[in-house]
Amino acid sequence: MYPRQCINSFMKKLVLIRRFSQTLFLLLFIYILWLTTNTAVFFKIDPLVSIFSFSALTMLVLTFIAGRFFCGWICPLGAIIDICGIKAKSRDFGFRQVKYYILGFIVIFAFLGIQIAWIFDPLVITARFISLNFIPFFTIVLDKLFIFLIKSFNFYTPLYDFYRLLKSSILGVKIYYFQHSFITLSFFIIICGLVSITKRFWCRILCPLGAIYALIAKFSILRRHVDKCMHCMKCNVDCRMSAIKEDSSYRKEECILCMDCIYGCPDRATKFTWPAKKNLQSKFFLISRPTGREICKAKDSISRGDFLFLMASSFLLLGFKSMADGAKKRLIRPPGVTSEREFLNKCIRCGNCMKICPTNGLQPVIFEPSLAGIWTPHLIPEIGYCEYNCNLCGNVCPTGAIPKLNLAQKKEQKLGLAYIDKNICIPWSQNKECIVCEEHCPVPTKAIKTYDEVFEGKKIKKPYVDASLCVGCGICQNKCPTRPLRAIKVQP
Amino acid sequence: MKKESMFERFLNKKISRKRFVKLCGISAGSLVLNSALFKFAFGQEESSTGRVTKRIKGMHDLVVAKGEDPYIMTVKAVETMGGMRKFVKKNSAVLIKPNIGWDRSPEQAANTNPYVVGALVDMCFKAGAKRVNIFDRTCNDTKRCYENSGIEKIAREKSANVFSPDDWNVIKAKFNYESPMEGWPVYRDALECDTFINVPILKHHSLTGLTISMKNLMGICSGDRGMMHFDIGTKLAHLTDFIKPDLTVIDAYRVLTRNGPSGGNLEDVLDMKTIMVSPDPVLCDSYAANLMDRDPLSISYIEQAVKLNLGNADIAKADILTIKT
Repeated sequence: MYPRQCINSFMKKLVLIRRFSQTLFLLLFIYILWLTTNTAVFFKIDPLVSIFSFSALTMLVLTFIAGRFFCGWICPLGAIIDICGIKAKSRDFGFRQVKYYILGFIVIFAFLGIQIAWIFDPLVITARFISLNFIPFFTIVLDKLFIFLIKSFNFYTPLYDFYRLLKSSILGVKIYYFQHSFITLSFFIIICGLVSITKRFWCRILCPLGAIYALIAKFSILRRHVDKCMHCMKCNVDCRMSAIKEDSSYRKEECILCMDCIYGCPDRATKFTWPAKKNLQSKFFLISRPTGREICKAKDSISRGDFLFLMASSFLLLGFKSMADGAKKRLIRPPGVTSEREFLNKCIRCGNCMKICPTNGLQPVIFEPSLAGIWTPHLIPEIGYCEYNCNLCGNVCPTGAIPKLNLAQKKEQKLGLAYIDKNICIPWSQNKECIVCEEHCPVPTKAIKTYDEVFEGKKIKKPYVDASLCVGCGICQNKCPTRPLRAIKVQP
Repeated sequence: MKKESMFERFLNKKISRKRFVKLCGISAGSLVLNSALFKFAFGQEESSTGRVTKRIKGMHDLVVAKGEDPYIMTVKAVETMGGMRKFVKKNSAVLIKPNIGWDRSPEQAANTNPYVVGALVDMCFKAGAKRVNIFDRTCNDTKRCYENSGIEKIAREKSANVFSPDDWNVIKAKFNYESPMEGWPVYRDALECDTFINVPILKHHSLTGLTISMKNLMGICSGDRGMMHFDIGTKLAHLTDFIKPDLTVIDAYRVLTRNGPSGGNLEDVLDMKTIMVSPDPVLCDSYAANLMDRDPLSISYIEQAVKLNLGNADIAKADILTIKT
């Protein structure tokens, strides 16, 4: 054995390293989402989203070696929850099995062909919050601040140039706005606000990704070891997951390796160690298996009865299935999406496509098709149209719900079809010049054609849509000058 | 004392009449202050009666350059006109207004040729300009237009300022006569410059027939531009009077003959390899219209500009020099 002093002086620093790692990964997450170039990296290491990817399997193997280190060291939502819960207390009141129920629901629904992982996946929740709430808020505040300074103090030369440089590089020319982003925000605030009940409420009780890791971490090799403890109960009280029991043993599947117990231990008795070689065999093969009744008493893990209850209750929720089936194509979906059903199942609602869309036209759905479609993207041409020369949304989609298309393929995708309301259209109803729609139509041969009609000696051009050419990009609806109703509208 | 959480403290606090009145007073006061602050910060409006310029005459009324290289053609044409020093004074701010309206490549001929813009930037700096601004209000997404037109790259290399205009930084137009453009917001940078160089591309336009220099001025207008299309001839003529461009350089190197103004089909593009330079926007537009076999007066904005006496639309009367490079 090493001398206690020596080991622990290093191990005490582990808390600092963990905090550094959390901050680093949170900033990296925000940075990647800000650029929205390589977002798939983060979702690839998420076993709940992509179980068969190599990196997700690597994460599972690493968890088997070291335990739930992801939750304590990497997870950006965990980092935000830790920041929110600095002052919160840690209380143990059970209900830990709920997360296994949630995981169970997700798996059962996955077998039924319905994907509901997006509701509770922590990476997706954080990504959605950052893309739809944090970045738009941050940019608009910065932008208004600059406008205020420039306008009221007449800083037209030096500061204005800097502002323009910012706008053309990182800030972006357009200030994004997302419909119903209030709901995303409140969802996130509720999750973070739960720390007022106990520290890491979400991670203990609700997180299904945590549940996957917990199932594996139960058998992890690295374990906590307490030597000649004086039973001051400090670690038991402080543990942010309440994983440490009163007899200073611990629930291995709940430990997220935050290293608080090492830092706080007044006697320097706690450490994390690998088991010695000769113990390895006994660890794996000579464990006396607990009986069913013992597990039931344990309350924190899931028993056979619980499992049956889960199966039974999940069938009650089959209503979800019919809702997903009933969602017909009523919305203008991003380019390349053909089957609504398949789209709903593949989309994890991370918000990347909405963040990257250059015109801000992709907006989150709330209840338009049904509950099953919440937070999926759809195009609202009056906010922004689909840029003809652009295939970014398919390129950034981490799950392929929006297919990756090259530019030539994308230009052939039909999102919908434009219709002209002749009662509103200025040339049709008032015999005045307009044809803004024809001017903006991006199809090289123009999907909007014009009739010439003579009115009071003047030639008036009246637009009509060629249905075989129209790609439904919505630029005509976006630029149509009639208010409040547009004279030309794209229907899915 | 037992520590209370914030939520508990909020619940336990009793409300009295005095406290209620106090709270109301504070919130009302802050509202008033807030709105005043917002008005102070964002609500100021300025108006102007247009740019004040001396009408500088060149050596000729119009110079037409024909050749192979757009950069050399532009340089030669401006030199024949009398050189850039005639138009750009030392330490002055120059605005070059190309057409960057569409997310298209230079070959598709929907945007001004980047080499023409590059040549003008070079000449302005050689003539001693302090800064050269380049912007356009685009129809497609600004960033993509600037990138794909190739103008941003070339102009940045030559250290010109390329930026997207801000809708909050506008000046309202005022006219001495009755005008449909009264009160229209125009970007400040277009007004507050010493020399305004308009660099349009000659191309087909469905409503007006042709997009030339006066139509290109639409890019300095903020506001709802769709509404400009009604009575577009008068509006563009008045806008030209408001801005009074010092120099007009029309790029007809590649010309979009059909399906304008956005285009996209290479078959519609005709290689005309011509560049026109003139201080008179109306003459320039008339010559370009003639080049496309159109009667200048059949184009509504040229007709209106002649009525306002903004320039000469009669090509036979003008001093036109054609050079070959």
